[in-house]
Amino acid sequence: MYQIIVFGPFIAAILAGLFGRQLGDKGAQIITCGALVVSAFLSWVALFQIGFGGTVEHVTIMTWVSSGDLNFNWAFKVDTLTAVMLVVVNTVSCLVHIYSIGYMSHDPHKARFMAYLSLFTFAMLMLVTADNFVQMFFGWEGVGLASYLLIGFWYKKPSACAAAIKAFLVNRVGDFGFALGIFAIYMVTGSVEFDVVFAKIPELQGQTIHFLWMDLDLITTICILLFIGAMGKSAQLGLHTWLPDAMEGPTPVSALIHAATMVTAGVFMVARTSPIFEYSPDALAFVTFIGASTAIFAATIGTTQNDIKRVIAYSTCSQLGYMFFALGISAYGAAIFHLFTHAFFKALLFLGSGSVIHAMSDEQDMRKMGGLRKKIPWTFAMMVIGTLALTGFPFLAGYYSKDMIIEAAFASDSSMAGYAFFMGVFAALLTSFYSWRLIFMTFFGESRSSKSVQDHVHESGNWMMAPLYVLALGALLAGFIFKDYFIGQNYEDFWGSALFLKDAANNVMEAAHHVPGWVIASPFIVMILGFLIAVYAYIIKPETPAQFSGTFRYLYALFYNKWYIDEIYDYLLVNPAKKLGVFLWKKGDENIIDRFGPDGAAASVMALARKFRGLQSGYIYHYAFAMLMGIAAFVTWFVFISGGGAS
Amino acid sequence: MTETLLPDLAPAYGEIFMAIGAMALLMFGVFRGNKSTELVSLLTAAVMIVTLIITVTWNDTAVYTFENMFVVDRFTSFMKILVLVASALAVFMSMQYFKDEKEERFEYPILVLLATLGMMVMVSANDLMSLYMGLELQSLSLYVLASIRRDSELATEAGLKYFVLGALSSGILLFGSSLIYGFVGSTNFTVIGQTLSQASHGPDIGVIIGMVLVLAGLAFKISAVPFHMWTPDVYQGAPTPVTAFFAVAPKVAALALLVRVLYVPFGEMSESWTQVIVFMSLASMVLGSVAAVVQTNIKRLMAYSSIGHIGFALVGIAAGSQDGLRGLVIYMAIYLVMNVGTFACILAMRRKDGMVEDISDLAGLAQTRPAMAAALGIFMLSLAGIPPLAGFWGKWYVFKAVIATAVADPMATNYGLIMLAVIGVMASVVGAYYYLNIIKVMFFNEPEGEFILQKSRKLKAIMGVSAALMLLFLLPQINAPVLEYARMAAAALIS
Amino acid sequence: MNELLLEYLPILIFFFIAIILSCVFIVLPMMLVEQKPDTEKLSAYECGFEAFDSARKPFDVRFYLVAILFIIFDLEVAFLFPWAISLGEIGLFGFVSMMIFLGVLTIGFIYEWKKGALEWE
Repeated sequence: MYQIIVFGPFIAAILAGLFGRQLGDKGAQIITCGALVVSAFLSWVALFQIGFGGTVEHVTIMTWVSSGDLNFNWAFKVDTLTAVMLVVVNTVSCLVHIYSIGYMSHDPHKARFMAYLSLFTFAMLMLVTADNFVQMFFGWEGVGLASYLLIGFWYKKPSACAAAIKAFLVNRVGDFGFALGIFAIYMVTGSVEFDVVFAKIPELQGQTIHFLWMDLDLITTICILLFIGAMGKSAQLGLHTWLPDAMEGPTPVSALIHAATMVTAGVFMVARTSPIFEYSPDALAFVTFIGASTAIFAATIGTTQNDIKRVIAYSTCSQLGYMFFALGISAYGAAIFHLFTHAFFKALLFLGSGSVIHAMSDEQDMRKMGGLRKKIPWTFAMMVIGTLALTGFPFLAGYYSKDMIIEAAFASDSSMAGYAFFMGVFAALLTSFYSWRLIFMTFFGESRSSKSVQDHVHESGNWMMAPLYVLALGALLAGFIFKDYFIGQNYEDFWGSALFLKDAANNVMEAAHHVPGWVIASPFIVMILGFLIAVYAYIIKPETPAQFSGTFRYLYALFYNKWYIDEIYDYLLVNPAKKLGVFLWKKGDENIIDRFGPDGAAASVMALARKFRGLQSGYIYHYAFAMLMGIAAFVTWFVFISGGGAS
Repeated sequence: MTETLLPDLAPAYGEIFMAIGAMALLMFGVFRGNKSTELVSLLTAAVMIVTLIITVTWNDTAVYTFENMFVVDRFTSFMKILVLVASALAVFMSMQYFKDEKEERFEYPILVLLATLGMMVMVSANDLMSLYMGLELQSLSLYVLASIRRDSELATEAGLKYFVLGALSSGILLFGSSLIYGFVGSTNFTVIGQTLSQASHGPDIGVIIGMVLVLAGLAFKISAVPFHMWTPDVYQGAPTPVTAFFAVAPKVAALALLVRVLYVPFGEMSESWTQVIVFMSLASMVLGSVAAVVQTNIKRLMAYSSIGHIGFALVGIAAGSQDGLRGLVIYMAIYLVMNVGTFACILAMRRKDGMVEDISDLAGLAQTRPAMAAALGIFMLSLAGIPPLAGFWGKWYVFKAVIATAVADPMATNYGLIMLAVIGVMASVVGAYYYLNIIKVMFFNEPEGEFILQKSRKLKAIMGVSAALMLLFLLPQINAPVLEYARMAAAALIS
Repeated sequence: MNELLLEYLPILIFFFIAIILSCVFIVLPMMLVEQKPDTEKLSAYECGFEAFDSARKPFDVRFYLVAILFIIFDLEVAFLFPWAISLGEIGLFGFVSMMIFLGVLTIGFIYEWKKGALEWE
């Protein structure tokens, strides 16, 4: 069954990618969607078997590497954590596949698109089912590749290509850290298989590793390296810059990769390696700090952006921050629960915004929208559901998961927990504000678009709307149904051994259920507050934002320009690298290596060849002359070496 | 003189059969006229195949006959098999061409047959006289073949050049022979070898000069630098099937003869001739690789390619060991298949308005004729010596042998031999450029016009089978018999 | 070695005789004959018919053909003389060899006859 789940999308990708021309667009769509529907269905079966049956499956496919001390297999380790990820990935992917049929209906390269989507899904499944670090890294790189291909799908658009390259490069930084982490793990434990590694970690407590002049704590170092990988993939503060640009890709891609699945790979990885992180309080504090900072940082930027997809992208960034600080305070269940619910409502928001963009003839700027409520009521309804879920409206998905995280942050005694709690609450306020701002700017007020665009506004087709309804259902119910298992009283039965806690007696999740009333109420209060501010600023007195940005000009500019992170990177890293590259290219490569290396050799061969051609005059007497000269030379040579002969 | 009975004819049954067959076919053809060309061609091929069977079944240790002028051993058998296969394939490949060109002449296959007969005699020659007889029978037939299209200026020019220069080389060879005879007192290889090995002092200067001249005459036939100048002009000018024939069979025969001349009569002088062989090998490899870079005509390119390949084959002689000789024999076997396949492709380069032979005409072949492009691509990669194709293994065995010799003998000539190997590998890198260029033209350039569909099933079969052999040479089922037979052939000359 | 070269002495003698004779035939008329040129005597000499052009012009390729054919059969005869004289010594082997040689030559002859090489027009 797990083979079908994982390799079904792969086979579909191969078929659609290589034989897309023969299959036709329709054939490619049927194959990829079919494979995904099967995978998604089987994933739910797996969740019920594993999660509710309380078992752990190990499936070995084949030996991958057997070289000296290094042995590991292609194998699946399916525990509850994996099963949850399987459900998230396959469900969202399946819906996005179907949505794409409608969304990409005007695109000439449908088969290629579907192949990439399926390829991505395969890589993601490889990542989540891995039973060793190398296989996980394979999936990790695989999703990076698929993400690159999909962001740059419209490869004729320079901005898309640039975004794809940026995503790839920024991820390289993270991947480098991840790879170093794996090397370090192999170095100290002699294995890359999860079970073996995790069993050995407790013995390594307190050991140090000597690097340059520093003595670093071994486990902390490993954890930080792994977390750098997670930061890259999950767009955490510092390595987040690629995510907003990645919105250049088609909207289904944004929904699948940059909201629901790939960006959560980092969260998954930290949760999977919780048996390592648990032994390093410093690393956990670092994770908490980065997560909380990202949550607030991305939220501030989200309040000022005008591109509908970028707002949601920053919102994703911010929500990922929540997940990380939940991980940092050892509330793994809450983090994964938020990952799970977030996948539904964020995919819903993205696909909904895709529907809006589709309706607006590919316009993404919210300043040119407005008043769409009546024209596309179903999309509006879906977007509102998504927004309510995101902002944590009671009994919707986000309510359970996000509030749980905030409560856990309060209850935790970790060194960074207080910071995380306040940042979390404040970010929730901003989340509510920018989410409603998006709704109001898009759907309320007067239309600010041109006449021709307005005439074209239409509700999307069924292929696009059906996935929205399914996701909306998820956004409405996922939290309510699953809360007992992920974070409630069935917590331990459900997760089993998938999540590790060093100090099981002192479970922060347990403590989170017993926090003061004002803590429980605070997310709700700030949500209402954010909503009211948005209503005031965008409905009652629409001139407020302009006044505000005028008064706090510098603050606004700071947020609007994303805290100038891109500019700082450009100045510190990109430009010097470019200059060095140009120097090496022009001076080093062209002037030295090429000139005396390949180019020089090629030129001298060509010159020699021309000389030879010159010799080939076509005159018999030249040829005969050459022969006779050759004989004369040979005879002379022989006479000399034989010392004049003996006759 | 006693009342001698007839000499032992059995070792020469194959040659006798061919001679009778050639004459019978000549009579058949001349009475039936040119319309019988196709039948004569098929019968010619049949004669060759029967001879092949006779040759294969003759599986004995060395046997001398005709007053020791004629020898048959495993080495000659192997080389004769190569010659016969190459010639028979050349006849098959030519049929469609002459039909399409409306130039059918029944003399063509008969001349090929006679040339092949000459080569057989060359391969088996154990005497300067039989050497010359075989060589001339071969050469005279080839001169006529080169200009068989009398109305084509290019072909006539090619034939004339080949004839004049060939006559010059024959003269040189004869002169050398007479010097050798004058100083040694015999024309028989075995006797010369014994005489030289018994000589108390070194060989006479006359013998040395004689040997150099004979060497030069043979080097002309295998088109080794600096006796190669005729090759590009003749290859380009001659009709394509003739070029296809020229490129393989005569080379194999002349190389076999060269090996015998070097090892049997002049085996004692190997230290001196090794240096000349090393020089010719080096020069051929470098020139063959470099000069081909600027060629635009594919037949001319193949001429330079053949010069280069002869250089690689000579590396096997330079090694001076049994392994080296085995490498050479394997090389020639692989060279045969690669070249026959390539020329089958060149023969298929026909547009509505006739044959084309520029490399640029191959543009976009992968789109218009994908199967042919794939086959030609395989041949080019193999000629370039890209593993795991057969061409790589040919080079591998000769270079391995020469390195082994160089390493085993730390004193004398090893320096030159290692240089030879290094420069040889570098030359093959340069050579790879133009082979890959053809692949680039076929696969990445836009097509300009299309070749007509090849009617000849023979051509297609030759292309397909050769390409498959190139690809599958790695399989032990295919390479094991070749390697084993080559080892036995080499052992017949050097134990 | 000298014995070997001694065998070639007759050839050397013939060589010198040939040189001497040819010189005699050229030089003697020059000295003895009275020189009295006229146009007919100075014009190009062609065998069998009146000269119609300068001898320096290239002439018909058919002459070459005839010449080559002539040489072949000329050589055949040159080969037959020594063979006939020594037939008694070389016996059956010599006889069979010559018959094969003549047979091959006959094949060639039939070929050129059928191809029309012997007809002028």
